[in-house]
Amino acid sequence: MGRLQNIRAVARRELRIIGQRPIYFFGTIVPLVLSTIFYLTFFGEGTAEKLPVGVVDMDRASYFSKALGRELGDNQLCKVVTYKSFVEARTDMQKGKIAGFVVIPENTYKDVLSFRRPTFAFYINGLYFVGGSMAYKELLTMANMGNGAVEREFLRAYGYSEDEIMGMIQPIIVECHPIGNKEINFNYYLSSILLPAVLSMIIIIILIYSLGSEMKYGTSRHLLRTSGNSITVAIAGKLYVYTILFSILGLGLIFLLYDWLDFPIAGHVWTMVLDMLLLVLSSEAMAIFFIGIFPVTRLAMSAGALYSILAFSFSGFTLPVEQMPTAIQSLAIGFPIRHYYLYYVQDVLYGTGFAGWWQEAVHMLLFLFLPLMVMPRLKKAYIYLNFPRN
Amino acid sequence: MSIYSYFKQWFKDFLEIFDKELGEIFHDSGAMLIFFFAGIIYPLMYNGIYYHGLLDKTNIAVVDNADCPESREYIREIDATRECNVKTKCVNIDQAKKLMEKGKVHGIVYFPADYGERLNRKDQAFIYIYADMSSFLYYKDAMMSVNHVMISQLHDIQIERYREAGIVGEAAEMQAKPLQYDEEYPYNKAFSYQIFICTAILLVIMQQTMFYGMALISGTQREEKRSYAKLISERKGLGAGRIILARGSVYGMIYLALTLYVLTIVPRLFGLPQLGGFGDLFGLSVIFVIDCVFFSMFWSSFITRRESIFMLFLFMSPICLFLTGFAWPWYSMPKFYQIFSYILPTTFGVQTFMNISCAGADLVTCHDAVITLTIQSIVYCLLTCLTIYIEDWILRHKTQFQEAKEKFAEKAGVDIEENLRIIGGEEAVERYRQERQQKQ
Repeated sequence: MGRLQNIRAVARRELRIIGQRPIYFFGTIVPLVLSTIFYLTFFGEGTAEKLPVGVVDMDRASYFSKALGRELGDNQLCKVVTYKSFVEARTDMQKGKIAGFVVIPENTYKDVLSFRRPTFAFYINGLYFVGGSMAYKELLTMANMGNGAVEREFLRAYGYSEDEIMGMIQPIIVECHPIGNKEINFNYYLSSILLPAVLSMIIIIILIYSLGSEMKYGTSRHLLRTSGNSITVAIAGKLYVYTILFSILGLGLIFLLYDWLDFPIAGHVWTMVLDMLLLVLSSEAMAIFFIGIFPVTRLAMSAGALYSILAFSFSGFTLPVEQMPTAIQSLAIGFPIRHYYLYYVQDVLYGTGFAGWWQEAVHMLLFLFLPLMVMPRLKKAYIYLNFPRN
Repeated sequence: MSIYSYFKQWFKDFLEIFDKELGEIFHDSGAMLIFFFAGIIYPLMYNGIYYHGLLDKTNIAVVDNADCPESREYIREIDATRECNVKTKCVNIDQAKKLMEKGKVHGIVYFPADYGERLNRKDQAFIYIYADMSSFLYYKDAMMSVNHVMISQLHDIQIERYREAGIVGEAAEMQAKPLQYDEEYPYNKAFSYQIFICTAILLVIMQQTMFYGMALISGTQREEKRSYAKLISERKGLGAGRIILARGSVYGMIYLALTLYVLTIVPRLFGLPQLGGFGDLFGLSVIFVIDCVFFSMFWSSFITRRESIFMLFLFMSPICLFLTGFAWPWYSMPKFYQIFSYILPTTFGVQTFMNISCAGADLVTCHDAVITLTIQSIVYCLLTCLTIYIEDWILRHKTQFQEAKEKFAEKAGVDIEENLRIIGGEEAVERYRQERQQKQ
């Protein structure tokens, strides 16, 4: 029974520390809430709108160029900016002001009418990921629609029926079904991983600070005294408080995303709850591992910060991990968020159930062995305080 | 005091503060880790991670229920595109779906049984893509590949159909494609992810490491009760200008070297586009570093302990990256974030760097951003001066603040000694009592 009481005593002590230092509030809840508000509002509806697209009209506002400008302008995704010369448009593109532009050469309309097959050009600014690819898609569609419209007029003049005309203009139709994210919504895609990654970062930083500050403020011996001279009890007591705190934050996140905001989910929200709890536990394990390896608060915190920033890339949700150089690929398994992401793919996108995600759950549980390796070292550091304190 | 002696004193103070600050950086392992490890290694690391930024040969599965010459040709052509690799031909959609769930393929192309029949009937035929959305790059590859093949097939089929209608040769070409277009991608032709993210991340690393490192140092100074703001009241006639210019030059010097390394050497090592001239890059580095120095100095005024910086501001790094607009374009951001991004040097620094090195612009073309960066520097410089005077005032009234705080704690029912006893034991309480006695 003594152990349980000691755990409770350590937890009570931890609550006092949290109450005394406002940094715990400003370091956990504030960053998470601000990040959540930021990412969820930043991507807005999840599709970029009103991309500025330039039209360089050298055909002097003919019927054709006006129709084209209208067509682009009517599109919800585009906003037309007109230019008088190629140079003006190019300069604006170099400044990153427009996502792309179309050049309509002189006499285009006349050439169309007299079967001379005029050529116009479109220039895409490939420097901005979403802006560039959207502009590419829009301008390509527009060019093909323009072609189709002219073709249709000819075919009508030949006396073809509308069905036959469609068969001539568009013999093959490609239909795309994006699985798990039908609207190709960037908000669903990015926020689902970015927010848990932010939480994981907060857990690592805060827990390193909590364990490290015992040495910094010279209270570590008293901590051990409270815990009955057991480092396991001391850490268990601290984790008792933090696991509850971070789980509440994590579950809040899961229910916010998949319940309140109705992000599409093929599996079940309760399996994601499990995923989040595992993420919380494995991130805590990483934090203990860091402070155990570097029992110097400043070093452990700097290392933890560098590690958690890398986690965003190594989760592999933007550039897939198998595309990274082979030597780096294997590093990805050392990041809890990587396994969170793989679990998420199975549950949220495919809904495969236990058979799909159990391996990732096991991987995250394996992180829990890390603290065991460093606990004796941390205990020594706590007792002898033989490392630089800051 | 003559002007001569004023300047003499000015330079003496300047050099003294400069010297002290430089020494402090090199004696702080945390700051050294941030400045030199993160500043030098991170740009290499990120370029390493994103080195193969082009997702080539994404594995896809094909379900060909039509099994006709047309569908077979289509599949061969998909296999020949850069984007996709036809890994398996599955017997049905279920099998293909299983493979996708296991992560063995990242897209499915499905030809319904009537594909060939519809083409031969001169109807519209359908092809279905099922895309893996676990990364948008998979989706993009499957879409691009199938659509490119579609456009080339479309042309052949159209010509064939016109021939059957008695329209041949140039006339048929004219009908099938009355308008011709050229697609031009002057920059980042292949939409390489490396170019998107690395050009943006390089300057974000510079700004954030400088900010974290500087905050670490000034947090330590405040914790050890030797904040630079004290200098104002300790020495008569010493203005804030000397302090911030001297401290700023230390960081400016280190970061000018780091930024030049990041903007000129790193792109060369990893084959990022380098269309910009050295003069423009140098000019950008100077403007950007000066801005970052004042930015970091202002925001680190709020850091009173050495570790707090990571707890308070680490989450801002990815936000800074998104606000540069490297992925989500700046013009599509909500209005609020467009305005908010004006407080960060990276927003304009990154855009200028991208435009210079990838789009071949120069500083004159990008004068808007350069002017914004300059205005930012001036505003942050003035704000920093202000915070120094405020901090000095707070430090001079410290005892009053302490007393007010204790009174407030008492009112709120917090027992400081009891707290200390639980947290640090009797020794801590003893220490606290001694400190109080000394003060009195």
